[in-house]
Amino acid sequence: MGNYNACVIAGGQCKWGVREASYVDLVQEAAKACLDDLPGLKPSHIDGLIFASTFVGRRSTQVNTAPVVAERIGLKPTSICTRVDVLCAGGSTGILLAQGLVESGMAEVVMVLGSEKLYTPERWQIQYDEMAAVDHDWDGPNGIGPPPVWFAVQAKEHMKAYGTTKEQLASVSITNYKHGLNNPKGHFQKELTLQDIQEAPVIADPLGLFDCCPFSDGAAAIVVAREERAKDLTDRPLVYLRGGAQVSLHSVGGNWPGEHLGDWPHLRLAARKAYERSGLKPKDIDVAQTHDCFSISEIIEVEELGFCEKGEGGPFCESGEITIGGKIPINTDGGLISSGHPFGATGVRMGIEIMKQLQGRAINQVQGATFGLTHNLSGGNVEHTIVTYGLEPR
Amino acid sequence: MKGIPFLEGKYSPTLDLYPIECKEFNRIYPFYDNLREGRFTTTKCKGCGKVSFPPRVICPECYSEDLEYIDLPTRGKVVTLVEKWGGVPIQYTPPMIGAWIEFPEDSPVRHYFSLLYNCGVGEVKEGDEVQLYVFDVAPHPIDKGKESIMKERVYFGFEPVKKK
Repeated sequence: MGNYNACVIAGGQCKWGVREASYVDLVQEAAKACLDDLPGLKPSHIDGLIFASTFVGRRSTQVNTAPVVAERIGLKPTSICTRVDVLCAGGSTGILLAQGLVESGMAEVVMVLGSEKLYTPERWQIQYDEMAAVDHDWDGPNGIGPPPVWFAVQAKEHMKAYGTTKEQLASVSITNYKHGLNNPKGHFQKELTLQDIQEAPVIADPLGLFDCCPFSDGAAAIVVAREERAKDLTDRPLVYLRGGAQVSLHSVGGNWPGEHLGDWPHLRLAARKAYERSGLKPKDIDVAQTHDCFSISEIIEVEELGFCEKGEGGPFCESGEITIGGKIPINTDGGLISSGHPFGATGVRMGIEIMKQLQGRAINQVQGATFGLTHNLSGGNVEHTIVTYGLEPR
Repeated sequence: MKGIPFLEGKYSPTLDLYPIECKEFNRIYPFYDNLREGRFTTTKCKGCGKVSFPPRVICPECYSEDLEYIDLPTRGKVVTLVEKWGGVPIQYTPPMIGAWIEFPEDSPVRHYFSLLYNCGVGEVKEGDEVQLYVFDVAPHPIDKGKESIMKERVYFGFEPVKKK
């Protein structure tokens, strides 16, 4: 067993949205987009598969999915072939696991493929199934499952503690829709105005329709390779996986670890560990993808990730610091709010966007980006997952 | 009666939202038996004294199996209120009204998020007192020997304390 460096070398996604396709159709589209991203890369180069999906077992009546997916996309894994299930963080968890396998020498070239097929066969199930994404016996029946409820309470508590305003929430959605405008693979491509947001239906006050990301069908794939193999396979700048963290301090809402619901110590801890392991500080990060499942999430995340002071997330986002040219451009391809959110695929999409940013080929390019970060929360805000990337190894 | 009766005309992966509570399936069935008596309870370790919620079959602190059920407060105060109008799941009628509830300082469980029952929009506000509310949910079939029998179930939420 060795001590190798791990890089991301290729990535792609299918069109996200309401898709007339099954999950095995979507994973094939994503795998093709991923291999098309790096001419010369073939299925035979890949020795491992990590498949990230949570609802595939319920929505597609298929369990033990990794071998099924491997066969559909032409892989014959010899190092790892497994599925991970941590809901919204499945994709980034897969990348962390692939990094560990590659760095240890257990695998050489691993595809991380995330997918969810949510709009089938009856739409009413999406909201109902979401209640199983939190602790089924305690929080599900008590209403935390349908996500806006829980995040609306968190938004209200952040507003009470720090004076955050609805206009500041709106600024996140406006920015992310602007970033997603020219992302053809995203769920939405449209401009959003403050008036659109103010006139939209209330979902759970203070969150309106445009404060919430959509449910999406979709898939995305990224390839993690040992540095030496990466140099054989690509002439592009290598994007190294530097270090990450995953933290879970509770699962039932009543055991919330913070002083109030606008205080997220589990994310602070994940950030501290990820920065330590990557040798980076918040000021080193040139571009980030954070989990904007709701506008309030991004506001709290920029605080806990150290991009601004605690309580200043609202004014920070409203000031334009999160867009191209700002202090820390965030969700530069539209984020969850505009690109959509097929849970297991989201962390993979984020990794692809950071890879392209660091290689200088993103749609909304951050000039000179050297270090990037992705963040996902999952379940009822019970777990935080961070991955860091750089043009140099740790 | 809340909950979707088993496979009532729905696509087969229909989710059963409520726990299977009976002792043939669940070792924390005393919690549900206590609910039927109007008691909100959880487990306390007789060894190290750790109170854990939800109830356990081992102490998460010392891993002892020697646990006892203790009572939790059945009244608390609404800290933050929420109403969900859109994307309301099947079997609920908008708005779903929920609250982040605070229990008294001496309670081992300080907060809980719960749906509020028996109240409409504007009938409860932050700072109001709420109390435990126990209700019936759809029975669930379970094998008993060679027979399949239906087991009655209950669940809980909170409701406003009626002002006198």
